[in-house]
Amino acid sequence: MEGATGEPQVTTLLDNRVLSRLERLRIHSIRRFTDKKRGEHLAGRSGSSNEFSDYRDYVPGDDVRFVDWNIFARLNRPYLKLYYQEEEMHVALLVDASASMTFEGKLERAKQLAAAFSVMGLLGTERVSAAVFNSAGHHPATLGPCTGRASLLKFFTFLEAVQGGGDAPLEEGIEAFLKYRVGRGIAILLSDFLTFGDMKRGFNRLFSSGFETFGIQILGRAELDPEVAGDVRFVDSETEKTLDVSPGELLGIYREYREAFQRNLAQLCRQRSGRFVSICSEDSLQWVLFDLLRRRGWIR
Amino acid sequence: MDSMRLFGFYAPSMAWLALLIVPLVLFYFLKLKRPRAMIPSLVLWQQVINDQRVNSPFQRFKRNLLLLLQLILLGAVIAAATQPFWRGRVSRISRLPILIDCSASMAALDKPGGVSRLDAAKQKVREIIGGLLSDQEVCLISFDRTARKWTDFTGNRKILLEALAQIAVQDVPSDVEDALRMTEALARSYPFGEVLLFSDGNFPTQADFELSFSLNYQKLPPAGPNVGITSLNANRTPDGMWDVFARFEGSPDAETAATVEVTRDEAPAGKENVRLAKGQSERMVFRISGDRASSVEVKLFPDGFDSLGSDNRALIELPALRSLWVFAAPSLVSYRHALSALPAIRLFPDEQGKCGESSFDLVITDRAEDLALEGRISLYVGLVPKPLSHLLTVGKEGTAVVDWRRDSPILQHIEMKDMVILDNPRSGENVREGDYESLGYEVLVHGGNGPLLLEKRSGEKLAYSMLFHSDRSTFPYRIGFPILISNLVRLAMQQTGLAEVRANPTGVLPPIGVRSENSLCRVEGPDGYTREEKSDGNRKLSGIPAPHVGHYSIFEQGTKVAEVGASLLSARETGLLSIEQIQFNEGLSVTAASGGPKMDRSLWALLAMIGFCVLLVEWLYYHRSPGWFAGAGN
Repeated sequence: MEGATGEPQVTTLLDNRVLSRLERLRIHSIRRFTDKKRGEHLAGRSGSSNEFSDYRDYVPGDDVRFVDWNIFARLNRPYLKLYYQEEEMHVALLVDASASMTFEGKLERAKQLAAAFSVMGLLGTERVSAAVFNSAGHHPATLGPCTGRASLLKFFTFLEAVQGGGDAPLEEGIEAFLKYRVGRGIAILLSDFLTFGDMKRGFNRLFSSGFETFGIQILGRAELDPEVAGDVRFVDSETEKTLDVSPGELLGIYREYREAFQRNLAQLCRQRSGRFVSICSEDSLQWVLFDLLRRRGWIR
Repeated sequence: MDSMRLFGFYAPSMAWLALLIVPLVLFYFLKLKRPRAMIPSLVLWQQVINDQRVNSPFQRFKRNLLLLLQLILLGAVIAAATQPFWRGRVSRISRLPILIDCSASMAALDKPGGVSRLDAAKQKVREIIGGLLSDQEVCLISFDRTARKWTDFTGNRKILLEALAQIAVQDVPSDVEDALRMTEALARSYPFGEVLLFSDGNFPTQADFELSFSLNYQKLPPAGPNVGITSLNANRTPDGMWDVFARFEGSPDAETAATVEVTRDEAPAGKENVRLAKGQSERMVFRISGDRASSVEVKLFPDGFDSLGSDNRALIELPALRSLWVFAAPSLVSYRHALSALPAIRLFPDEQGKCGESSFDLVITDRAEDLALEGRISLYVGLVPKPLSHLLTVGKEGTAVVDWRRDSPILQHIEMKDMVILDNPRSGENVREGDYESLGYEVLVHGGNGPLLLEKRSGEKLAYSMLFHSDRSTFPYRIGFPILISNLVRLAMQQTGLAEVRANPTGVLPPIGVRSENSLCRVEGPDGYTREEKSDGNRKLSGIPAPHVGHYSIFEQGTKVAEVGASLLSARETGLLSIEQIQFNEGLSVTAASGGPKMDRSLWALLAMIGFCVLLVEWLYYHRSPGWFAGAGN
């Protein structure tokens, strides 16, 4: 594989320069949903890392190794020095690859973002897994959980092989994924969220399973600002249902509904300690990663 | 009025195209196949379609907007094919006389190089003729000082257009009454309800006419500024010269300077500059020698635009000045004595008693044998005219003056009260004043028992009969006597043109004397005008029309015997006055309408435009490529 400059590329999804920048970035979790396993993420509770957390009075039975003797020398009272517990975090990449994602390069952008998050997760010593939803009723294609730099190529190969199509509703895909979940952490949802189902249930399920939800909605330009010229019959790419549409005031109403739909999704995420962002498939990948998501504090 | 006749169709047979509506509707529903467009998801669209706003009645109506637009388009095409028209007011009239003013002011232009009022009127009449329907007839009548019917009622466009082309401006004032009277006479043969009048409104406000039909007075647009000569006359001066007076006036908006040139027998006789202010007139005097008869022409050259040219030229024929030839019977010593004191008089018989002439300017006699003498003015003293011999007798018991016509030219400034008269003219029993008038005599002085002074006009001659002899009265001793003589001389001077001359206006030339009776004469005038007239028993040519400004030459047996000029000389025509309302008898009035008669208005162009707009709207909404999902993935 070669990039635009002729140099060999690690993956078709990400340019090498993007890849090198991603290696220095980490996914920033707010809620710190972590597993018990040791890792690099500081857990909310005290532990044995080198990261100082707090002092507390010594009580009989405490390990005297953790007594701060300097303070004892000054105050003649024993205080226990507490440290953070560093635990492992599970990063779940949930990619919607149904037919609706095949329009206007949405699936490509979803795969690129998934690859980027996998790089940041694996190099951050997180446990990273991926699940791709295609057809309803079928188990989603999954990978992982994996850790370490050695798993990068495995992820790239997996994501490169993802094909669009199918009619899997996103909420059903989430349900199917959670049946085989391993650990707590972050669930990164890469989808257009255009489903007739109830996304509230999907978000609830993720939250109750210990996932902080990162929702990234990818829409095409025609979905953001559609143009309808003359009478036309719309066909749903997933359900094959049809709808007759005539021009007029529809476009204004459509925009109202689309904005309300996005506000609703963002609210559902926020109410469950999650985050939500909507991008256009035409937006630059570098702008999304290194500008939009960094400014919003999703990655550091 | 039948409302169904408001609209008409030139090609109603094309209405069969309405049958195309059936296949149009049929094909619309058969071919109503919307283009399919694959989209990612109907999630949002489904919600949008379910919105109440989308399902409003108007939006439902819009679903079939394409069919509606196509029906409108087809309807417009069908309607245009039937060539509909809106019937104007004129079109709803089956028989229409059209009066066209062709007086001098109708030649006025609206701007330099523009169109004349008559041309503008003819254009409107052409439009009417062009829009005539098969059941409509038009009669063309032009009028200036007289009216002329050019065609009978006809719908033949060729005849009407040829007649219209022949109507030309006449340099005479207009008389709308004559045209209306002719139209009224026409109505007796061909009934009609409305008459169309095209004019610039240059005629008197009050018309002495009882309007028996509806008059549609179409006033033409106003012309540009104009100045011209409105009066030209000459007075004799005591030193044997003519003072030629010319008056210049303009239209209300005319304010210009001009040069006035005077020529005598085509030789320059004077040149002056004149400046005319708005609403003002200027008067100029030129002195011309009276040593010979001469033709004087006054020309006006305005500096700026002048809309009317015919009034910039005026002609006057000045006779050679001479003494007034007066015959006074030797027995009338008092008369001869009074006449000898007046200037420019040649008295007959002379001091030697010679009288070599038989024709005089003024004859005063008390002798019956002098009745054969010819005089333009005659005063018979103490002689009863033969036609009146059975109406009155002259007694000797005396009488007195009861009343007299103070406005008579001969009696001006004369006091006749308390005059003693020894003769007594007495009317017979049951003889009234009307009996004298029936014989052509007008009573100027009434006595106690009958008339004392009578006047009779015979052509150009004027005869006064004093039924009492002045020598048997105190009249010669009164102050009024020399005044009477002076009045007679002045009157004779005027009648013979030796004291005052006025330029002849266009219209009809004054009687012109020729050499022989019943002689066929040819009259040649300006603009190729020729005419043949026969002289009457008095060797006069009368009633010669003079429609244009210029010289008119009279030829008798190939020899030029006279030349007279005719000029417009009308303050109304020069002023281009334009009235808005004509007042008729019995309080009727007609107001001008300047918008032109309501003609047929073809609607096909409007319908075609509507069809084009509909087509454009349809293209904008439905024929743009719906390929906005071209980037859909596989």
